[in-house]
Amino acid sequence: MKKIKLEKHHLITAGLLVLCAACIVSLSVQFLSMREEEPIYPGPGVTSVEMLSDYYPDLAGSNGDTKIYVLDSGVEGPSMLVLGGTHPNEPSGFITAVLLIENCEPQAGTLYVIPRTNHSAFTCNDPQEGSPMRFTIETPGGERWFRFGSRATNPVDQWPDPEVYVHASSSQRLSGSETRNINRAYPGRTNGNFTERLAYGITEFIRQNDITITVDLHEASPEYPTINAMVAHEDAMLLASQASINMQIEGMNIGLEPSPTNLHGLTHRELGDYTDTLALLMETANASQGRLHGKMTPELVVTGQDKYYYRAGLYGALYVDFPETGIPLDVRCARHLTGVVQIANAYGEIGGEKGILDLGDVPSYSEIIDTGIAVYLDPTIDGWGES
Amino acid sequence: MDIEFIVLLSMLAVFLLGNFLLKLPVSLSMIAGAIVGALVGGEGIPLRHLFEGTFTYIDTILIIATAMIFMTVIQESGALEALNAAIVTRFYKKPAIMLILLMFMIMFPGMITGSSTAAVLSAGALVAPALILIGIPKANAGAILAIGSIMGMAAPPVNIPAMLISGGVDMPYIGFEGPLFLVTIPCAVFAVLFLGLRYCKNLEIDKIKAELNLEIGRKYGLKLYIPIVVLFVLMVTTRLLPSVMPALGTPLIFLISAVIGLFTGRKFAVVEKCSESMKTTIPVLGKLMGVGMFIQILTLTGARGWIVVSCLGLGLTLLYAAVCIVMPAFGAVSSYGAATVMGVPFLLVLLDTGDQVVIAAMLSFICCLGDLMPPTALAGNYAAQIVGLKYRYVLKHCVVPFLVCVGVGLICLLKAGSLGFLT
Repeated sequence: MKKIKLEKHHLITAGLLVLCAACIVSLSVQFLSMREEEPIYPGPGVTSVEMLSDYYPDLAGSNGDTKIYVLDSGVEGPSMLVLGGTHPNEPSGFITAVLLIENCEPQAGTLYVIPRTNHSAFTCNDPQEGSPMRFTIETPGGERWFRFGSRATNPVDQWPDPEVYVHASSSQRLSGSETRNINRAYPGRTNGNFTERLAYGITEFIRQNDITITVDLHEASPEYPTINAMVAHEDAMLLASQASINMQIEGMNIGLEPSPTNLHGLTHRELGDYTDTLALLMETANASQGRLHGKMTPELVVTGQDKYYYRAGLYGALYVDFPETGIPLDVRCARHLTGVVQIANAYGEIGGEKGILDLGDVPSYSEIIDTGIAVYLDPTIDGWGES
Repeated sequence: MDIEFIVLLSMLAVFLLGNFLLKLPVSLSMIAGAIVGALVGGEGIPLRHLFEGTFTYIDTILIIATAMIFMTVIQESGALEALNAAIVTRFYKKPAIMLILLMFMIMFPGMITGSSTAAVLSAGALVAPALILIGIPKANAGAILAIGSIMGMAAPPVNIPAMLISGGVDMPYIGFEGPLFLVTIPCAVFAVLFLGLRYCKNLEIDKIKAELNLEIGRKYGLKLYIPIVVLFVLMVTTRLLPSVMPALGTPLIFLISAVIGLFTGRKFAVVEKCSESMKTTIPVLGKLMGVGMFIQILTLTGARGWIVVSCLGLGLTLLYAAVCIVMPAFGAVSSYGAATVMGVPFLLVLLDTGDQVVIAAMLSFICCLGDLMPPTALAGNYAAQIVGLKYRYVLKHCVVPFLVCVGVGLICLLKAGSLGFLT
């Protein structure tokens, strides 16, 4: 049997292979950890938990299937769907959805909450953004962790992207990177790509439940013009106007913008056009998703404090007042939560034909600003269910 | 001094040290720069971020790899020689028109795919031998390919930096055709005539014919061109008729066309030749992975924010200078990256100075020129590879057209208020 003489380059190659293998194992553990769902503790208002695949069975077993929390008051009235986690790199939308699930007890009508609208996008991060995988919030009952995901569907579920994304029902062309953005895929289609099928599932849920109002919760980078604003489909403009007045009364400034008729694929355009729901979208200012921020850390996600955004504000380059203390997650969630409550209130105030939607005793804007969101995310609160 | 600035300096210093003093490949120098940047930024060695960054350009890498296979097939099958013989013998009497037509040929795949790499590796590879045959020096021919492919990338209907910039402010990608044609066509015509016309004013066709392979075209006839026609048809139909033709993706289109090319011309050792061509392109693919890692660390450490905010604080006059200098320079990392990182904030600052679509179009045009910036210089790299030179010789001849293009883009940017009728 011929002996193989080990030379220096063999040893170097072997060493490099072992190093690569160790890296692969370590990285696999890290990337797979994104598939673990953060706990959500259904509050006393949650009457049932459904899956999106109950409405569009094609999604069953896929990374797109997602939980729908139903908070039925038992009193007949209008229904509202709150979409959190359309873009998991915009955490106030997701956390507000969690706050509703854990704290809201509707008194009239039904509230549906989908906290992870693009479930797949929670399982990855956007390359080049240097995002953290998780951020934490210290509550009186202990630390809670949440994922900071991607703007788009995980490439593991849908890949590759074409150079140009053509929106199916309008033929609008966008950069290929928008192919995996669910908020450019509505109303969706059954024979489309993974993200288009997710969007179809949401649209189908709205149709089958005849949802009265749909609110999609987002965040935007502070240099983006549509910020601290509510965007409404023309059918929902009266509702949005009344809600924005209510929000101003609560001490919260918010802009109101009509949904552009020539910008397709978004919830506030397509869900309004293709279903009977009153479609609205809200934006808050999130420094951690912008292009101007300094060091990217989990703390930036929560505190919203960033010296470069502050500096850019002084240069007049932002569309929102950006204080040196930042715009924390507390404020951003307070804005969204207040928006949801005031939209529900406004429906009754404008004489909506389905009656009154009463979300009950939800923490107010000033309460959250005073105490922060952590006390409302305390997992040891009595009456909360298992995650 | 901001720590983020120190991080940036350390990354650049390590990159330059590795590349120029230690003669390490660009890819390894960028990886070293990224690791040092992370260490200086207090991130340790963030394995996940380093790895995640390398995946930024995985789609581009696939396009390049499959385009190289396609290019090898049409070269070896004889299609390239036949096509060049046809072009030269038909158009030699009118060299200016011939050059302009050849330039449009180079631009076309870029216009359809939005990628200068796809343009230079497909049509660029077809046209390059013709340019050299009619007497244009290799370096000038390479510069024509590089500039042409970038003009194609910037020209409508598909300009991806423009889509990225408009998407960043939720502006529909509508009305860009006029402003983009206004800058790309004149710049392309200027570039090809500037770089090539003086060499082919008095062509000696008999001498040229002696160098052409007229036999291959006669032997295989029109079927030699089938892979090129298939490439053209698939690229056009998937882009222009998306409801009829499913999106196959540029890599698959290149592969389908290459496979067809195996049966339409001269036979050759497929695996051996394709392996050779892949070996030549691996350093560039490595560069792209290094670049992705570099950007990820720039963002993670806050150095990206420092760059952008420093530009925003310059005031309007200096901001225009930053548009002309920093945006193309950022193309050394990535022209798409320049569009998202720099283009969107610049557009937002300039919104009040003129028509939004014109401003976005001009910013995207200037971003595209970043594909000439070393060390990545995708367009320059592949143009040089096609003409068989080192890319610095090609880039040297790109300087004048590059400056003219930036100047034209800047003038249109300054006059954006009065160019709104084009949108």
